[in-house]
Amino acid sequence: MSDFSIIGKRTAMVDAAGKTTGAGKYTDDLTLPGMLIGKILHSPFPHARIKRIDSSRARALEGVVAIVTGKDAPNPYGILPVGHDEHALALDKVRYVGDNVACVAAISEAIAENALELIDVEYEVLPAYFDPEESMKAETDLIHENKLHNIEKDYHHVFGDPEKAFGEADYVAEGRFIANEVTHAAMEPHSTLAAFEIDSHTGKPGRLTVWSSTQVPYYLQHKLSLVLDMPMAQIRVIKPLVGGGFGGKSEVIPLEIIAAIAARAAKAPVKITYTREEVFWAHRGRPRSIIDLKTAVKKDGAITAVKARVVQDGGAYCSYGVVTILYSGALLGALYDIPNIQYDGYRVLTNKPACGAMRGHGTVNVRFAFESQLDEIAARLNLDPAEIRRRNLLKPPCVTINGLRVQSYGLPECIQQVVERSRWKQRKGQLGKASGLGIACSHYVSGAANSIIRSDMPHSTVNIKIDRDGGVVVYTGASEIGQGSDTMTAQIAAETLGCSLGRVKVVAADTDLTPIDIGSYSSRVTFMAGNATLRAAEQVKKQIASAAARKMNCAPEDVVFREDKVFRKGDTQGQSPTPLEPTQAAVSVSGRVEGQILRGSLQQKRKEEGQKYFLTFEEAVVAAIDFHGALTGTGSYAPPPEARGGKHKGAGVGPSPAYSYSAQVAEVSVDEDTGEVTVHKVWAAHDCGRALNPVSVEGQIIGSVWMGMGQALEEEMVWKDGMLMNPGLLEYRSPSSTESPEVEPIIVESVDPEGPFGAKECSEGSLAATIPAIANAIYDAVGIRLHESPFTPERVLAALRARKGAKPINLTEGVDPTAPRRFREHGGALWFRGKGPERHPLDPARREAADAGGDD
Amino acid sequence: MIAANFDYESPRTLSEALELLSSREDAKILAGGHSLLPAMKLRLATPALLVDISRISGLNYIREVGDRVSIGAMTTHAEVVSSDVLQRSSPLLPQAASQIGDTQVRNCGTIGGSLAQAHPAADYPAVVLALDAEIVAVGRGGERPIKALDFFTGMFSTALRADEIITEVRVPNTEGQRVAYKKHHHPASGFAVVGVAVRLKASAERIDTVAVGITGVSHNAYRAVAVEDSLRGRPLGAIAAAAARVANDVDVLGDYYASAEYRKHLAAVLTRRALEQAAGVRK
Ligand SMILES: Cc1cc2nc3c(=O)[nH]c(=O)nc-3n(C[C@H](O)[C@H](O)[C@H](O)COP(=O)(O)OP(=O)(O)OC[C@H]3O[C@@H](n4cnc5c(N)ncnc54)[C@H](O)[C@@H]3O)c2cc1C
Repeated sequence: MSDFSIIGKRTAMVDAAGKTTGAGKYTDDLTLPGMLIGKILHSPFPHARIKRIDSSRARALEGVVAIVTGKDAPNPYGILPVGHDEHALALDKVRYVGDNVACVAAISEAIAENALELIDVEYEVLPAYFDPEESMKAETDLIHENKLHNIEKDYHHVFGDPEKAFGEADYVAEGRFIANEVTHAAMEPHSTLAAFEIDSHTGKPGRLTVWSSTQVPYYLQHKLSLVLDMPMAQIRVIKPLVGGGFGGKSEVIPLEIIAAIAARAAKAPVKITYTREEVFWAHRGRPRSIIDLKTAVKKDGAITAVKARVVQDGGAYCSYGVVTILYSGALLGALYDIPNIQYDGYRVLTNKPACGAMRGHGTVNVRFAFESQLDEIAARLNLDPAEIRRRNLLKPPCVTINGLRVQSYGLPECIQQVVERSRWKQRKGQLGKASGLGIACSHYVSGAANSIIRSDMPHSTVNIKIDRDGGVVVYTGASEIGQGSDTMTAQIAAETLGCSLGRVKVVAADTDLTPIDIGSYSSRVTFMAGNATLRAAEQVKKQIASAAARKMNCAPEDVVFREDKVFRKGDTQGQSPTPLEPTQAAVSVSGRVEGQILRGSLQQKRKEEGQKYFLTFEEAVVAAIDFHGALTGTGSYAPPPEARGGKHKGAGVGPSPAYSYSAQVAEVSVDEDTGEVTVHKVWAAHDCGRALNPVSVEGQIIGSVWMGMGQALEEEMVWKDGMLMNPGLLEYRSPSSTESPEVEPIIVESVDPEGPFGAKECSEGSLAATIPAIANAIYDAVGIRLHESPFTPERVLAALRARKGAKPINLTEGVDPTAPRRFREHGGALWFRGKGPERHPLDPARREAADAGGDD
Repeated sequence: MIAANFDYESPRTLSEALELLSSREDAKILAGGHSLLPAMKLRLATPALLVDISRISGLNYIREVGDRVSIGAMTTHAEVVSSDVLQRSSPLLPQAASQIGDTQVRNCGTIGGSLAQAHPAADYPAVVLALDAEIVAVGRGGERPIKALDFFTGMFSTALRADEIITEVRVPNTEGQRVAYKKHHHPASGFAVVGVAVRLKASAERIDTVAVGITGVSHNAYRAVAVEDSLRGRPLGAIAAAAARVANDVDVLGDYYASAEYRKHLAAVLTRRALEQAAGVRK
């Protein structure tokens, strides 16, 4: 295939050893002399005014060093410039069960925890809103005073002439879909360690260093500066190893700021690590969504228009909400050729933990609805579900009706691959009783073309330094969160410089050392930080080439770098030329003996030797350093103006320099007696542009399928009066390797013209296809159309009963999962329930529980 | 969260353990710790003293005594799964044990701990009921065998007295009978949403002996007497109709994963399947 030596090779992650042996350090592994432990007091009420906080009893407890509340850092913040509606610690109101009220820093976790119980808070309980459609009618007791009807933001987009298209359609499908709420459930709970330099004379805090489990060190530095009223230059953010983010660490999480506030008050380092229950409250996951979808088609299956109304239950704060609701509309485009689109999106506030960005941000729930409805249309028109998708392909290069530029487009091949490998044509309809196949497609951005902070700054900048030791050090702000960012960086640098991977050291995500990168989210790192790395490496390479060219007596353009050697063009083809004796001697000596003196004398000797036919990488570097001084290069990336989208309100979200494409076929069987769905196999084809590291791409595809399968079959945050009923991993299950079906990842390479070596994204796009592929397979198996996810055994059975006209299963509140109208409030288990904050005495649910004989 | 403060003792003999247990009002036995420690971390349990019985020798064994198998209270779930004696003489227990939680839980959790805990969705309770097992409790007054039928008295509550320790579980040899355990796992915890343990002696024409133990459905595990009554002396064809009566006489629990109605339905399906499997008409 290609003549790369590192790109496209199955490469072990460069940080794998530390993670697998346990030697690697995550934030919670870190300690500092004199470090205190912080614990946060959370609100037990979904909506209440704080009348008074009395922490005197807690303060008196031995071992308690500081207690901070909202007054200690009153500046509001939020990840989006339009959504500065959060306080690290509540100022006057709490807005969800779990909201942050106070923090104790003490010499031990046990003391801090005990102190929490001694803080007396007086609340005035306010009416609360839990259902988004109810919340939208609110006139009084608004969650945020400036958000009328509790609507965070609504958008109304019309592209083309949808009304006309609906009028001229041969068939119109219409339905309401409900996707319940899911969360990231990353393995590592959030953790932050904050330490100020304390001036030993004045006792005043000086520079601040924060170690944190974050996907966005630069945004964290920015928000810390805002809330703590400190210049950014006085703040250093370091990201140690991170155990998974999936979007849950892609914004500033309250503990990251609270730790710093507490450290400032305590004049000592403070570490806070969330418990799993707190991770659930911090949330920022995928909002439960109501999607009213209408699709117009012609007889041949050509889609002529789509109308979508999406209501997202955003929780109590804006978070990424404005972006999420925009993605849900924008990503109706750029998968298929849809000439007319109407989109009405409502991001609604409710008294629940804030939703934010989660893998497949904004697209997943709408894609579930769309791909399910497309399947319904295919059945109605008697078309093969794979065929109807083929009939609606885009013809790139093109710009969609809503302004998204598409250049590389591997969707046709993805469909082809999964159809062939699953033997779709031969097996569909032939699998026997209660078994079926379903297909669905999806896509995602390779980074947002417009940064959330509107500015002209590059989205990624990378520096490279090479010194006489021959080591290549890459300084990047890109955040490794387990997805392989450091490995990708090393691979691109090594390939470009023609050196071995082992020579490259990646220094990442330390705001004092590394240039700004806006973070690991929206699948932007490979495309953007990768391009920046490529450019930085090329800049250094140029310097080495010019020195090497002088040595080898050729033009700099004729110098070729490969496998730790530097050749003249033409000398490299196929075999490497026999090395010259003196050169080899020089390498081994300089390799073995340290010290400038010897190196210098060898250098002198080399100078005397005259012309060379090839140089080792080290020799070439030394030659260049002798010539230029230290070698450094900088590269940066900003998306091109052509990729930045249209001009309408909200046009900034959706555009990307490149889109990934996926198609999946799922094979399932349904137990018609119990409603249990078993996924037997998923064929998942993904167009990632170019697979820089195929094993990594496959891992991302498989992980996406698992996460999609979780949302399809079992993951659901269950709410009752704003209380999360399943805030723990013994109640909320994300699938892991133990329950994985066979997943066949299929890599499709469309080689994008602007991606680094043609690469696009591969870690989010696949997820959205899994849910509808499973839904469509269930239809194929047993003939039911599930419009509410997840497809739990109970819901499946209820739908089966309804279809057979058998006595219906009465789901809580009589919901029909094939035609859900609204979200349900749930009972809740007697014994699986997390402890959670206690209910307040006025809460009717508490009285009911008491009447029912306690709720332990 | 971290547990509240507590004292810890690890006696070497049963009598020392018994003494420690009655020395303090809120002393508790610690066995495998896989129910007690999570509860302490959530501060749902705040014992002042933990009496760790894992160092007492002679509480971990599986041996055949006449037509019974005796199992020491400290025998882990994993040991039950891999016991040749049980596989041969009383396979219902290992069948169910292999479906408890995950490997870590099976390596630490003990049969005595599981029975004493009496979790409404634990697996063993259904099994000991179906087997007509005997649970041996020892107090300072001596040994007291308790019939499984009398043991489970409510959610997390048993006939065990506060100063008693379970030392042994005695199950009958079931050779010549057929057994089956069917379970619907909660996807996250692994506990039984419904678990059905069945013991059966039957020919194609006639069911002679039948015992059905149910867990997960109500406040505590119970024998499905209505099912048993409508099967005894009847042909195998009666199974489906009988199974539908499995939860008629109990207070069925509902939760966010499975409503009471769904749970009841599931119990009927799994009861039918377990009976059919034991009868050899389903694999
Ligand atoms: C993740 C997870 C999944 C699980 N899944 C399942 C499952 O699917 N099915 C299932 O059945 N169980 C499950 N369990 C529970 C598990 O089987 C426990 O091990 C068991 O319930 C308790 O046994 P233990 O030895 O750990 O007891 P401990 O936790 O040590 O003790 C439990 C209680 O019993 C008391 N006790 C212990 N031993 C004795 C004794 N000999 N005499 C008197 N009192 C005693 C203790 O004082 C305590 O009150 C799960 C547990 C976990 C953590």
